Formats: sequence, structure tokens, C-alpha cells
Amino acid sequence: MTIPVSAPQDTMTTTPPLVATVQDLRVYFKTKAGLVHAVDGVSFDIRDRETLGLVGETGSGKSVTARSFLRLIQSPPGVYAGGRILFWSDEARRTGAEPVDLLTIPRHQLLDVRGNRIAMIFQDPGKALNPALTIREQVAEVFYQHRSEELLEGAYGDASLLIRRAAGQRTRLAERLLLRLPPLRQQATKLRRRVDDHVAAALNETQIANPRKIMDSYPHELSGGMKQRVMIAQALACNPDLLIADEPTTALDVTIQAKILELIRQLQERHQAAVLYISHDLSLVRQISDRVAVMYAGRIAETGRTEDIFHEPLHPYTRGLMAAVPSAGHTRGRLAAIEGTVPELVDPPASCRFHTRCPHAVALCGAIDPELLLVGPAGHQVACLAYNTPDQLGVDPSALPDLSRRTR
Amino acid sequence: MTTLSVETRGGSDRREGIPVMTVRRVRKHFPIKEGAMQRVVGQVRAVDGVSLDIRRGETVGLVGESGCGKTTLGRCISGLLTPTHGGIYFRISDEQESELDRVLAVADDARTAADRRFLAELDSEHRIDTMNSKARHVYRRNCQVVFQDAFSSLNPRQLVKDIVARPLRVYREASGPELTERVVDLLDSVGLGRQHLYRYPHQFSGGQRQRISIARALALDPEFIVLDEPTSALDVSVQAQILNVLHELQREWGLTYLFISHDLGVVRLMADRIAVMYLGQVVEQGTATELFEHPLHPYTEALLAANPDIHADPSHRIQGLEGTVPDPANPPQGCRFHTRCPVATPLCGWEVDDAVAWLSDSRDLPDTLSGVERHSDFEATLAFDDEASAAAVGSRLASDEVPAAMAAALAEVEVDLGQVRIRFTERQPMELQEVEDGHLSACILHTDQS
Repeated sequence: MTIPVSAPQDTMTTTPPLVATVQDLRVYFKTKAGLVHAVDGVSFDIRDRETLGLVGETGSGKSVTARSFLRLIQSPPGVYAGGRILFWSDEARRTGAEPVDLLTIPRHQLLDVRGNRIAMIFQDPGKALNPALTIREQVAEVFYQHRSEELLEGAYGDASLLIRRAAGQRTRLAERLLLRLPPLRQQATKLRRRVDDHVAAALNETQIANPRKIMDSYPHELSGGMKQRVMIAQALACNPDLLIADEPTTALDVTIQAKILELIRQLQERHQAAVLYISHDLSLVRQISDRVAVMYAGRIAETGRTEDIFHEPLHPYTRGLMAAVPSAGHTRGRLAAIEGTVPELVDPPASCRFHTRCPHAVALCGAIDPELLLVGPAGHQVACLAYNTPDQLGVDPSALPDLSRRTR
Repeated sequence: MTTLSVETRGGSDRREGIPVMTVRRVRKHFPIKEGAMQRVVGQVRAVDGVSLDIRRGETVGLVGESGCGKTTLGRCISGLLTPTHGGIYFRISDEQESELDRVLAVADDARTAADRRFLAELDSEHRIDTMNSKARHVYRRNCQVVFQDAFSSLNPRQLVKDIVARPLRVYREASGPELTERVVDLLDSVGLGRQHLYRYPHQFSGGQRQRISIARALALDPEFIVLDEPTSALDVSVQAQILNVLHELQREWGLTYLFISHDLGVVRLMADRIAVMYLGQVVEQGTATELFEHPLHPYTEALLAANPDIHADPSHRIQGLEGTVPDPANPPQGCRFHTRCPVATPLCGWEVDDAVAWLSDSRDLPDTLSGVERHSDFEATLAFDDEASAAAVGSRLASDEVPAAMAAALAEVEVDLGQVRIRFTERQPMELQEVEDGHLSACILHTDQS
């Protein structure tokens, strides 16, 4: 499968510029059973200031895709087997510089992007925050890591080397002791106050009541919603160009979830960031995204504008998934379940990944691997053989699946 | 499928609509222990005064946020926890139920000897934590549980055959080849088959494991099953399969369900009647359609407004709730929801804690606060180190910025040297009251208390 470096609609003035583009990403895991194709040829674009929702069930590869942006997949067992993730930072877009490939850039460059240009909110705030550090220390770390120059600006005409090292959190034990002694203590305190102000401002932005009090508490003293707010403060502290939210509300109650969602939406607007929102919950993704990509078994099954996907889902999997969500219109016992389970991803054959569960599957589905086809005007793409013409595949028209006819 | 004698079912037929479980004023408090001596310093009131009827053949849904006590109540009803106060009665008749309600309404010391005899008889025959061993035998086999996490509720060292056959072995229902056939029948009824008999739980997916749990619960042909979030660990497509299986089984076997879930969509689909819990109490109870179409309690309204619906109008934005769930060890006075309620009135039970929380949230509580002396929940004296901050707090509490409902409930603010004395109008806890036929709500807006 070949993918052009830039999609043709890039040249159009109406579409906002790209922030990141994923091209044919393949992430495999080495296991005793064989090579697990967790992400197998995924491509999508994220544009400036938009929210892309990535939906899929457990094991569809949505989290692995997201983690690949920051190279957070442990290796081994993980292997980046192919593809690239190109990223344009705000600065690169302005100067017209080349994008960086996040999968190949050297580590020191990657560290500069992590938490700075691309930030991530994790699913379980209880696990993602360090239980041994106060909120102040955890949020301050972001500033020390990425904003040490800014911390030194103005107030220190010529900051001593030691203060510089302190602002970059590079001091050793002896140096820290030295910083406590009178000649440097004043400057060190000033630096700390300055960081505190930054931390308080960051927390304040997430509408936490009493940020100064929260700064001195430990994660276990906060409720789930508060912890998630701290995580968001941490993620947005450096004004990132891309925010990756990996199921940020799954561990929260619905009433808190709605608040956090609203907060992410507000802050996205204020920071003018692009958001990659990952969730298994279709109804949530519908609320927050501009565009949606539906993943199944390491592939993208369907992608397009949110209203198009929810108004007229094309892929049998998307249709099945939407019908399976219980709602007011359903009668008990008549919920449209998708039979079977997600297939094993160990050395998968060249076939539609969904054909084992698809109600419309025909013999051809087990033999040909469908590619994402552009079917709608606004970039609505679907990977199902039913939307191919017989000529494209070189087969008889009767061999193609027919979505109006059930085969099982 | 399985034939059971009348005797094993406890000698009663399965008439629709008669009470299976009668829950009256149940409380479950967990002690908070501290220090080397493990001194009890407080009680977490996980369930705090719940009354509920579960009738034959119906599904009662129990919804609420995490920490509201729905799982604890489910565990009390299934006999896994013993309630601290109150009683849970199994299979009492309609007459006994109304008699029980009459007796319980009478104060403890005003009961007649006949009333006491009646209660004692119910305790030994029907109350699940005090019943005699014969009655308990019948209760235990007729009340089963399906847990949320099918990963930890199945023994990883046992084969599926042993897991599902275990209840049958314990009750000496079958042995040898007959036992295997019974297990195959059970697996068959939940959509698994003979080929799954000799496998371990880890060889199954989440949905299949939950099916095994259900098969195990069905083994003794129970009357009543507590389903504690049976699908919340599953994906939507698999969840739909399990919900269909549960419905199918209920129809075929005439089961009664207590369905515990935090997912309103699922509960709406599965339940006939729903009880909404908040901080250990039921705040609203009614039929599923009534509750979803005409919610009475503001908390139910808030839950519905926060629930994203995939089939709703896309322009409709979900609404959240301010604040966090209060500490169940020290629940608010009056209506427990008043601290977060968008339509709270002055009569909702404002108290000292609300004033202190408001002051500290609006950053007006000076660091010079040296102590809070409580005279009651509604009256306290705040002591400050200097007079200026006491005066500042006093004028702050008298200003217009205090939320209107709280300001109206504030009966007295008195600044005296370094002290501020505040007093609120006292309110009683809110009780669940019938507003419409079969639709109960614990909100002052729907009662004649005001």
C-alpha cells in the first residue's frame, strides 16, 4: 500500500494545516505465540485545532497508536515495524520547516517534544501521578524541564551557573546544599516562587478551587476528578500543539466526566491545540470530535466527519457498534449484538479483519484485504469490499458482499 | 432442562409479583480504625437507611455513582455482608410485608407483645442474617451473585467443569456422568458448549468468562440473582450479547434480578423498576419509564443530563455536576445532595460544614483560623488569632456573595472579639416519600414538608 506524503486536499486553502500525519504505521509485539500485529497499517491526519476521535474496542490498537506518537511503547516486546508519524510544531508550520518523524528522531529531540509540543493525558490519573510527590513538585517538573530559560528571564540579569542548573533541575546533592547557603538562597527562593506562580496559574486554568492548597497535597488526597484536572494542568502547562487524551474519563463518574469533557473543550479553544481523543465510548466521541476514525483489530475501518459517520455509518462494524449501544429505542433482549469476539492478531492472513464477525461477509472477504476507499465528499473513507467496484478487484460483481443482504 | 423437586425450591410455587426480597431500613457502616490500638474513630456510612422491595419476576435496577453504596447494598442482600442495622427478609408474603411495615413504624418501646412475637418469628424464618439453618439452606441456593470482574471471580486453577459443577456438588444435586451432563446443559443455556468443559478461565475472553459466571449462578436453579455491574468490564458489542443472554434466561427460568450498574442506558434497557442511590441512600425510586421520562429528584436529573446518548440530537451537550461526592463518614445534613444541587432551597439542610467549605473555596478563610468549636451540626464558633480576620469573615458571611439558599438558611452570624458564631436553621434528614403512584422521591420540592 503506497501513501502520498501529503494528501491532495492539503493545497486547498479551506483546510487547516496539518499538525501531524500518521502514515502506514505498523507496531508489532513479539510474543511466544508469534508476532502480534497490534497496529497494522494505520494512516490518518490531524489538522490544526481540530479534535480527532479515535474509537475502537479493547485490543483494536487505539492506545498503541497514541503511545507511538511519543514512542512510549516498550521495546522489546514492541517493534515499530514500519510507517512514520510526521509532526509539524507550531514553529515549523510558521517557518515552513520540514516536519520531524517522531519514530526516527534522536532521543534528545524526542524529549524536547514530549510534554512540550505533544502532551498526553492518561486513562487512570491514579496511576499516572507519582504518589510520593506533591502536586506542586509534579507540575513544576514540566516547567523545569521545558521552560528553564523562561524561568531565568528578566529577574536574573546574569544568573549564576548554579541557578541555571537549578532551573533545569540538573543540580546534584552538594549543589543543592550550596543553594541553601546565604549568598544563593535568595535567588533560589525567588526561582522557586516563580515556579510556584507558574504551577498555580496552570492549576487555576483547570478551574480547581483553591490551587495553592491543592499544590501541597499528595495525589491520594484528591478525588478522581481533581486528579484528572491536575493531569490536564500538567499536560497543557507548556501550551502544546497536540494533546493526546487516552480515555481521560473512563475511570470517572458520568457527572464528573461531563465536566472534564467541557474543560478539555474550553482549554483546547484557549490554547488552540489539536486534540487526539481516544475512547471506546461512541457517544462521548460524538460529543467532542470534529472527525472520527473507527479502529478494528489494528486497522482503521472507517473515517470521516463526525456527523457523516454517525448519520450514515458505512462500515458493517461501525453500524454494528452503534446498534449495540443500549438506548431508549431498544426493546429488552433485542439488542443488536455483534456475534463472536475480536480475532487473534498473531500473524493475521490477508483478509478483512472483520469478516469472521460480519453479518454480510462473503467468501471474497476472507481472501482480499480491503483498503480505505474515499466514498464521500468530505473525506469519508471506508475499508469494506462492498464499496469497491468489481473492476477494481477484477472479480465478478456477484462475488462482492452486499450490505443489504445478511449472510449469517 | 433441569428438573427440580418442589422441595428444593423451598416448597413454594413461583407466583409473579409476590415479594422475594424485602429490604427495610438497612444500614451498613464500616468502622474507621486508627492508631496502634485500632481505636474506632468514625463510621463510613456506606448504606444508610435503605428500604426496597424486590418482587418475583421483575428486574430492579440500582444506579448511582461510584461510592454511593450500591455494591455494598447488593452484597448485603446476597448475604455476603451483614447489615449493621435493619433487616433483609427473604420470601415473606404480602400480608407479612404490610404487617412488618406497620410494626416497624411503631417506636421500639411502644410495640406490643404480639408485635414482638411477630418480629421474632420473621427473624428466625425470613430475615437473612438471623434465619434458622433450614431456611438459610433454602435462601442460599435461591440467591446467587454474578460479579463485575469475571477475571477475579473465577478460580484460575479450576477447569470450567469444576467451576460450574461446584454448587451442584456442594448441594449433592448430581455426581459422575450426570453431573457432567448438567454442566453441559448449563453451559449450553449461556451460549457455550461441551468443547469448553476442560479449559481454564484464562483461555476465555472477557465476555465468555462472564457467561461462565452466569452458568455457575444458574446451577442451582435460583430464584433471585444479584448482578453486580455484570457488563461494565466488557466492550459494547460483547455487552449486548450478555444483556441478551440475561434477558433470555430471565424469561425462560422466571428469574428475579437485582441489576446494579452505573450505566444509565443499560439499566434503562434491563430494569422494570429503578432505585437511584446517592451517598448511601435511595433518592428516587420508580418504574424505568417514569424515572427516565419524568425524573423527580434533581440528582436523577443531573445524572440523565450528564449521560451521553448516541442517538440523541448531536447539538445537545452533556452537562456535568459541580463539586465532588461528600465524605460518607460525615454526610451532609438534611438532603445529602444539597451541597451539589443546582436547585437547592434554604430548607435543604445547610450546616456549618457548608459555610466553612464555601469560605475556603472562595479563598476567604484566613490562615489565622485557630479552631472550630461545634455546638451541633448547625451551630459552631470559629475562633481566630486576631480580631481583624474574625471581622472580615463575619462581614463576608453577611455579604451578598453567599449563595442565596445558604444565606437564607443562615439564622445568625455574630462577631465577638476574635470569634465568629454561626447558626443555621435546623433541618431533619430527607425521607423518601411517594409523590405519584409508585414513584418515590426524597426531595423537598416534591413533598409537603415545606
